[in-house]
Amino acid sequence: MNDNGYEPLIIMYCCYWCAYTAADLAGTSRLQYPPNVRIIRVQCSGMVHPNLVIDALTNGADGVLMLGCHPGDCHYREGNLRAQARADAIDMMLEDFDLEPERYRLAWVSASEGPRFAEVVTEMVEELRELGPSVYA
Amino acid sequence: MAVKVAQEWFSICGGCEVTILDVGEPLLDVLPELEFVHMPVIMDHKVFGQTGEKPKAEIPEADVGIISGGIRNEENKELAEEMRSKVNFLIAMGSCAAYGGIPALANQFSTEAIYKRVYQGNGTTIAGPTPDQDIPALTDRVYTLDEVVKVDLKLPGCPTTPHMFVAALMHLLKGTPFELETKSVCDHCPTIREKKAAAGMTLKRPLESVEGVGEPLNTVRCFMEQGFLCQGPATRAGCGDGDTPRCISAYMPCRGCFGPLSHDANPMVDMMGALSTIGLNPREIPDRAAQFNRFAGSGRLRQKRSRRR
Repeated sequence: MNDNGYEPLIIMYCCYWCAYTAADLAGTSRLQYPPNVRIIRVQCSGMVHPNLVIDALTNGADGVLMLGCHPGDCHYREGNLRAQARADAIDMMLEDFDLEPERYRLAWVSASEGPRFAEVVTEMVEELRELGPSVYA
Repeated sequence: MAVKVAQEWFSICGGCEVTILDVGEPLLDVLPELEFVHMPVIMDHKVFGQTGEKPKAEIPEADVGIISGGIRNEENKELAEEMRSKVNFLIAMGSCAAYGGIPALANQFSTEAIYKRVYQGNGTTIAGPTPDQDIPALTDRVYTLDEVVKVDLKLPGCPTTPHMFVAALMHLLKGTPFELETKSVCDHCPTIREKKAAAGMTLKRPLESVEGVGEPLNTVRCFMEQGFLCQGPATRAGCGDGDTPRCISAYMPCRGCFGPLSHDANPMVDMMGALSTIGLNPREIPDRAAQFNRFAGSGRLRQKRSRRR
């Protein structure tokens, strides 16, 4: 929590095959990470339409974190590459909607990377705490 | 008994009024049933009375009110409220009244920046003070009519079509509900979509003609797939009155004047999706946010802040 008690709310999309399993692993390994994220499990990071990201950010979320498998490891072969292609469009929309680029982050976390999962979440939460509330909050 | 109609115009170019006059012969069928009690564009009827004797702006009682143009200043706001209190059914006519239209592009800038640009920073005008005497103050941004008062029907379009205006009036006279088209311009567009991505193509400006001008439209390739920016995917159909959309039938890409598909739709997001499906690069679009919200800026376009770094 920063000085004025602001806590960011982060909507997190985790792919079923890698990132969500990593979240499970982080949990069963009892790793500590901030409780600011709300995890939504999806089959693949490639299925999350940019609309959902923009909707989340313009309706009260402070950030969106998208986690998928490492490139080459996608269960659906190239879903995560699609997510990456969409990240570019999302970046442009953040600009058009007057949101900071830090509010959206795409990262790769494999099923065995529980510690990395906790690390990515912690990093994002710290970044957003510093950034403060979104203009749409 | 004739239906009384009051009409008022706010922040608008006057094109929608031309639509009313442009109705042509069907107007003769509806005219006997209408009585215009207030319509500044064609009749001399002043809101403060003919000699300015009334203390407060007044619009006569009417059954139907038609307002074109968005709310740009305090006078617009006052008259909109006055009109609402005097009519049973209020129509927001044209994209300005319905979505903000072209004037709402100014919502990207602060009022101070606009004043500065218009009165001090304009190369063709001698710089002078911003006028503030005997004129209504500007509102902080352009508002749609329904952001200020309750609206019963919105007729989109820049300008709205004579056909749609008559259809809406006819439904009103008969007492049947008038429904707007819910599909997109693409759904009504006869051009061929080959669904092959135009990847790597640079975006063309509509200064050059599309391929296939003059040929039947159902043999012409989708303008967007030809590399032109067309707002069809994110724009409500209806401009062609059930037939080919207006601009498409003139071999021009859609410019989006019928506004978004639904009240909460976001043309910026929809267009971004459409462009990436086709493989065009949205970064090449000049003034992207404004382009995608060209007619629907009220509430969708916002002032850019200086970025924190």
